[in-house]
Amino acid sequence: MVSAGAIAAVGEVGEGFFKERSSDTLPCQAREAHLFCFDWARENIDRFETPTVQHLELVVLSILLGLVVAFALAVLAHRRAWLRAPLLGATGVLYTIPSIAFFFLLLPVTGRGRDTAIIVLAAYTLQIIYRNTTLGLANVPTSAKEAARGMGFTDRQILWRVELPLATPEIVAGLRIATVSTVAIATLAVFIGAGGLGTRIYGSANLNFPTTILIAGAIVIAMALLLDLVLLGIQRLATPWRRTAAD
Amino acid sequence: MSEQTASSVRYEEATKRYPGASAPAVDRLSLEVPAGEICVLVGPSGCGKTTAMRMVNRMVEISEGDVLVGDRSVRDREPAELRREIGYVIQQIGLFPHRTISENIGAVPQLLGWKKDRIRQRSAELLELIGLDPELGDRYPAQLSGGQQQRVGVARALAADPLVMLMDEPFGAIDPINRERLQNEFLRLQAEIRKTVLFVTHDIDEAIKIGDRIAVMRDGGRVEQYATPAELLMAPANEFVEDFVGADRALKRLALMRVSDIDLWEAPLAFVGQATAEVRAKLAEPEVEVPFPLLVDSERRPLGWLSERDLAAEVVPSRADSPLGPVLERDDVMRDALADLLQNESQYAPVTNPQGRIAGVLSVEIISEFLGSPKARTDEHDATERPHG
Repeated sequence: MVSAGAIAAVGEVGEGFFKERSSDTLPCQAREAHLFCFDWARENIDRFETPTVQHLELVVLSILLGLVVAFALAVLAHRRAWLRAPLLGATGVLYTIPSIAFFFLLLPVTGRGRDTAIIVLAAYTLQIIYRNTTLGLANVPTSAKEAARGMGFTDRQILWRVELPLATPEIVAGLRIATVSTVAIATLAVFIGAGGLGTRIYGSANLNFPTTILIAGAIVIAMALLLDLVLLGIQRLATPWRRTAAD
Repeated sequence: MSEQTASSVRYEEATKRYPGASAPAVDRLSLEVPAGEICVLVGPSGCGKTTAMRMVNRMVEISEGDVLVGDRSVRDREPAELRREIGYVIQQIGLFPHRTISENIGAVPQLLGWKKDRIRQRSAELLELIGLDPELGDRYPAQLSGGQQQRVGVARALAADPLVMLMDEPFGAIDPINRERLQNEFLRLQAEIRKTVLFVTHDIDEAIKIGDRIAVMRDGGRVEQYATPAELLMAPANEFVEDFVGADRALKRLALMRVSDIDLWEAPLAFVGQATAEVRAKLAEPEVEVPFPLLVDSERRPLGWLSERDLAAEVVPSRADSPLGPVLERDDVMRDALADLLQNESQYAPVTNPQGRIAGVLSVEIISEFLGSPKARTDEHDATERPHG
């Protein structure tokens, strides 16, 4: 699944560029001390397009996978109380594995490329999404559940029509935290050849050329903020009762 | 909707044992609640009244014995399906915070698969029935007061026109003033809808006010007495019931009576312009019960009490020397009438009929005689019509 382009992209940034421009009158990127080269940025901003799209894909797919798995675990633990602590522990252990180590641990199993990256990134989201979902389910008022049962809601109807809607704020809050951290961790996906904005940060040529790191970093931050805003919007749309309750 | 609007509920030796508990929570309970009546299960905490009530909709599984709704055993029914036919109101109300008031009321109809239009129509109908502004239908529960929420809770239980209503201390968490109002509203509502209601409370006053019949329970769901409120107050079956009903049961009986239930005294009437000599003659009669003449107008509407000074004149004046004090109506609840008398420090109060004409005089003495008489203990008639006011 590894796209050859994505691998080739690593470290490629500076080379062609230096060849093209080195004969000109010392552009800013050739000077000894510089922080940000606007000329270069203006001309090369399109180099960031593919990594940005890859990065977004990595984040969205990992969050979706993480949500599905964590959600299923949380619902399972909700039904069987004895599963709650072990599952929290297990997802916690996943969360403590250093990211780079995690990537390389999976290499022999799933190989280089996007799949491995998504599995690892999703694994990191489990802890937060799982914990928030179980918390949200636990916070549903007993009286609402009791009333629902007494009115003839089945267990499944109580879950889908009462408990989950009421747990939405906590679930989305978990998704927001998980998303922001995944946007950041996804920059490491470059090390297993999954592309993303990491390609514009960790190349050896980039070390002497902070402009590309700054641009990539800015995109990472913008992406995190944007996704957070989107999720906030979803949360507000999905929980109209919380807005009106305040006035 | 359906022709049948209420079913009887019959407990047949119904027993609930919880695993690990030495004694059953409810032990061979047998009780019949006729269709359309309010049966109050009352008793101290832990007596099993809530457990007994929850057997009806299988929120509590019956260990032995049976409960029949109509003629069908609840044990043969799918619990969820059974519960949709039985209204359920709990003290914590349990409205769904994420659904609007209309959606809350429409919860059971939605489960039953009613069409959207029909649900909306039914919600509006019920909002009106419980006296809530239809505009509140689009609000969320958190925007309503506790009393309004509890009304919505009742409306939600009524939405699918259940055959039986279970109410577990429904007004227990409401402040006393609003509780009184909700009780009255509920009784007015019940007069209209005539459901079979099982009502759990630990408050004997509430039981007396709400119940057509009251089952006084003690540990293990044992029914110590199952009777009308009046019977319970007049003839407690044993010491437990007597204690539970309270030492003030004579006073409580007054809450069940109206002024018209008692034989009133006749006041010597004095019409405006009448010769005072006639009035004095009336006062001198040996059988006179009230020692003061009551000034009335030509329509026999009371105006005031005449004093000695008033009678010194030739004719009865148009204004009395002593103020009228409290005026009662025949429909007033006896307890309130007594309170009026005591509060105004008056011995006597004229009682009028709905046209405002004098019907008689109530005195503190009549009430105390009544409470002390054997009639008060044995005559059931007085309490058969409960004042719902």
